[in-house]
Amino acid sequence: MRNPILEIRDYSVRRGDFLLKKINLSIYKKEVFAILGKSGAGKTVLLESIAGIFPPAEGSIFLNGRNVRTIPFQKRNIGFVYQDYGLFPHISVRRNIEYGLKLRGCSRKEIEEKTEYMMELFSISHIASQSPKKISGGECQRTALARALVLEPELLLLDEPFAALDYSTKKKMYSELKKIHDKFSCTIVFVTHDFSEAQLLADRIGIILGGSLKAVVNSENLMNGQYCEEVDIFLGRK
Amino acid sequence: MKNEAEKKVKPDVFTTICISIALLVMLFICSAVCAIVLGGLPNLALAFESEEVRFAVKLSAATASVSTVICMLLALPTSYALTRTNMPFKRTACILLELTLSMPYLLLGLSLLIIFSSDFGKMLKGFGIKVIFSQLGIVMAQLTVNLPFCIRMIRTAFSDVEERLENVAQLMGASKFNAFITVTLPLCKNALVSTFILTWSRALGEFGATLMLVGITRMKTETLPGSIYLNISTGNNSMAMATAIIVLLISGTALVLSNLLIGNGNQGRTGGA
Repeated sequence: MRNPILEIRDYSVRRGDFLLKKINLSIYKKEVFAILGKSGAGKTVLLESIAGIFPPAEGSIFLNGRNVRTIPFQKRNIGFVYQDYGLFPHISVRRNIEYGLKLRGCSRKEIEEKTEYMMELFSISHIASQSPKKISGGECQRTALARALVLEPELLLLDEPFAALDYSTKKKMYSELKKIHDKFSCTIVFVTHDFSEAQLLADRIGIILGGSLKAVVNSENLMNGQYCEEVDIFLGRK
Repeated sequence: MKNEAEKKVKPDVFTTICISIALLVMLFICSAVCAIVLGGLPNLALAFESEEVRFAVKLSAATASVSTVICMLLALPTSYALTRTNMPFKRTACILLELTLSMPYLLLGLSLLIIFSSDFGKMLKGFGIKVIFSQLGIVMAQLTVNLPFCIRMIRTAFSDVEERLENVAQLMGASKFNAFITVTLPLCKNALVSTFILTWSRALGEFGATLMLVGITRMKTETLPGSIYLNISTGNNSMAMATAIIVLLISGTALVLSNLLIGNGNQGRTGGA
């Protein structure tokens, strides 16, 4: 039996008029899990909830057996990459990557070594001194991934990581994500509305519609599972 | 061919009306500035020689600087609490701030006069803190008038910074304070510079609340606007105009400085982790 890194128990949260309803879900260590759903379904809210950003209306989320809200933000060891990458626009690419290392009190040498290594790994050394405002979408994404992974997170949360990329960059980033998973052995939870992307990259897929988790399936069974009518319509089977 | 065709395209009526009104507004503002410049320039040397005017410049600059620094120090945490926390009575606080913004400054001065004439004011006086008819009162009046304005400006600046950037910073190990210092503040640096300079300029020109709380006494509580008022009241129009041009020069310099600082901020990179 695999160990869950994340356990979501009867979790509900309200954000304005939107309600995420009674989510129950376990995500296992080193798993790649896709949260699949259409726009406005609550995918990002669920991802942010996993990071412990919102206080729940009900229920809890446990990270390695501890309620995520009781773990101080900086000790959660979670990497988060937003759809718009969330890079700090006022500092350079290099400083973005160094940011977390400096806060963790790493030595200057360690910061330099780790930053150089990540920039080489993600092929962004040539834009090290540039502002995130002046680099392309693909470069922004690689910077955001490098910034999150340099801290060696146990759990990497990606919000629609490929939505803003063109087709060829997207293809490149798919293989990049697989490499990341092999190399860093972290658990990856990512949000998408693209069935083929979810099937290609994830071990399991959670389908979320109207703020409810409707189904959790192995990715290879996505198109031949037994679902409620709403999911069938979403998957285009009805 | 294309240029000729473009030349023939006439702007629509709405655009024409808007441009005409804008030009009229510019003319009106320009005439106000010109009135001060033309009336004040011949007497400018006289004003600089006047000990009273020099005192007023020094007093206004000093009180405006002190009140602006205090304003910023109070407005930064208040704006953070109003935009980033679930503080109690948040809505009421916002309404209260809007209310004080829309109140006549004379009324704010009156309320200060009532507070500092009360037993509380007398108690402060007992401790050596005299507010009414003193220079401390000028700072207090400027602070009261400017604080809601300053909070409003900084609140807007904080609201424009995406909260998710602060979340990302915290997930990378930053405390709330660290995220505020390394992400929020640098991202609204330009707005903060503008707020500082505008608040300072407003403080320099504050008159209503100051008049009510400390009055205008020559060489004691005579600020620049107070000096203009006194000179006009005593029929010394030329000195009033000269003082007015000094205020205009100071405001203009502040504006240029603000634009320079913001311009440099846009070109360079700020801060680091």
